[in-house]
Amino acid sequence: MADEPTSAPEASGPLLVLEWSGYEATEYPQFFQPFADAYEGRMDEVIEYSFFAEDAEAYTKLQSGFEADVLHPCNSWWSLYVDSGLVQPIDTARLSNWDGVHPDLAAMGQFSGEQYFVPWEWGYDSIIVRNDLVTEMPTAWADLWNDAYAGHVSIWDNAETAFVMTALAQGLDPWNTTAEEQEQIKQALIELKANVLTYWADYTESYELPTTGDVWLLANAWQDAYAYIESEGYDVSYLQPEEGRLGWVCGYAISSTSNNLDLAYELLDAAIAPESMAALGNEYWYGFSNMDALPMVDEYVVDFMNLDEVDTLTDRTVFYRPLSEEQRSMMSSIWDEVKAAP
Amino acid sequence: MAPPSLWLVLLLVMPVVTMVLFTFRAGSFGQAAQQFTLNNYAAFLQNQPFQSLLARSAGVAAIVALLSVVLAYPVAYYLSFSAGSRRFTLLTLIIIPAWTSYLLRVLAWKIILGSGGVLNTVLASLGLAADLGSLFLYNRTAVIITLVYTWIPFVALPIYAALERIEPSLFEAARDLGARPWNAFLRVTLPLSLPGVIAGFLFVFIPTVGEYVTPALVGGPRGIMYGNLVQDQFLNALNWPMGSVMSLAMLLGVLLPILLFSRFVRLTELAGL
Repeated sequence: MADEPTSAPEASGPLLVLEWSGYEATEYPQFFQPFADAYEGRMDEVIEYSFFAEDAEAYTKLQSGFEADVLHPCNSWWSLYVDSGLVQPIDTARLSNWDGVHPDLAAMGQFSGEQYFVPWEWGYDSIIVRNDLVTEMPTAWADLWNDAYAGHVSIWDNAETAFVMTALAQGLDPWNTTAEEQEQIKQALIELKANVLTYWADYTESYELPTTGDVWLLANAWQDAYAYIESEGYDVSYLQPEEGRLGWVCGYAISSTSNNLDLAYELLDAAIAPESMAALGNEYWYGFSNMDALPMVDEYVVDFMNLDEVDTLTDRTVFYRPLSEEQRSMMSSIWDEVKAAP
Repeated sequence: MAPPSLWLVLLLVMPVVTMVLFTFRAGSFGQAAQQFTLNNYAAFLQNQPFQSLLARSAGVAAIVALLSVVLAYPVAYYLSFSAGSRRFTLLTLIIIPAWTSYLLRVLAWKIILGSGGVLNTVLASLGLAADLGSLFLYNRTAVIITLVYTWIPFVALPIYAALERIEPSLFEAARDLGARPWNAFLRVTLPLSLPGVIAGFLFVFIPTVGEYVTPALVGGPRGIMYGNLVQDQFLNALNWPMGSVMSLAMLLGVLLPILLFSRFVRLTELAGL
């Protein structure tokens, strides 16, 4: 297809990608190197972007009739996308770089025996600790409730994350809870309010709050926040909690309404090409799905993310699991009642 | 239908009607959205935490409105009676902050009230407190302070307008009858400016009940207001029907007391105060 660039765009128009801000190929061609090379100078003709800031926003947009070609949701939403008929199965034979994708990550994108999602970036969700300010080092998610940190904790204003983290801290299975356990989790989150200084809403707050000195434990931070704060010279650590770090993975899918398949497959193949994946790892401190990229990644990133131990990734990390509509609704209700509590 | 009525219907009535229609849907999208149900109402009426949050938010809004009026009144009074030729300049100076981004003004308060902020530094240098940390930030007080600050210019205007409308001859009459300045204020100025004061109060109270930006930025876990939850329902929980019921509850909860209140105001005017 890269040999015949003139026929694809004229036949079906530019590829419309529903994307997070920060990955658009027009601004960041290095994350889709082969695609950028093939369409150099003509990128604006072949690809267009529509942005979203939260998964919920993207899902709402699509359910309200917005039509895009390529989608980029994160894995706890993947089952919902499949069940709602928003995505079509991906023919992995059309992706020349597919064999490099780690099988554990690829498996996460499979539903009913079909590959619906191409996993692209993954990362951790853990606690950033100000080593110089805490009197005792925390060792577990459960330590967020420790009185020693009263007024110096910040967690993400996100229903799913709050629920999962609390379930882990209480020794429960976040994705299989009874009504009593859900009530227990809700009470625990209400108790946590005494320790919480503020809920952070935007990831830039997660970069800033630990540096103010008011927040000693910032929970649900992704590893890029840790890397940034540490590079600014602060004495911080990125916790390896007893219960395990949480993990997330996001990936690309082709919308069920899309006819722009040639371009879509080209983009996806370029996304998982080794040089693209290495650029992603080096620039954003993110994990990536194609392990062939490993030799091209900075040592610092490999060490910090344990990129050479991806075989054990799913064992030592608690990855978020896809949620059904009922589960998501339950977690949202609990979170809202926690927030409403005086 | 005359153009103004058409405008009103399209921009005011239709959105509210759409919202009310949403309250009866079983879900936000797809199949569920087509089904009629009263479950959302049942869910809200059974949800005591949400209802008490609405009450608390109305309480916060009332405090904000009251403080705004009390603090704006001297400003309006000065503009009306003492500013003279400089009044237009002063009025513009008061309004100018409102031209900057709302978000910027809220964030400015975050800096003032924060742990390394102006307030703490001043108090520490006066020897009043050593390490206050984030005492003034991330709580309901911070929300109230920030909101009052934002609203004062908007409240000063209706009060100023009401004061301007008072016949100057009435003050002369009061003086001639032997009233001291403070008495004249209480018996003549204040009652006559009351419609402006009430207008200013409602002007602040109504939007503040549903406020969510300021609580999200400076409210912390205890400063959350009703608007935050409505936002959650629409944006994160994807539960538009529930969000619509909550919005309707707030609309009715605010509208009914105001309708009653406006009856009262008309009565006092009739009484010839």
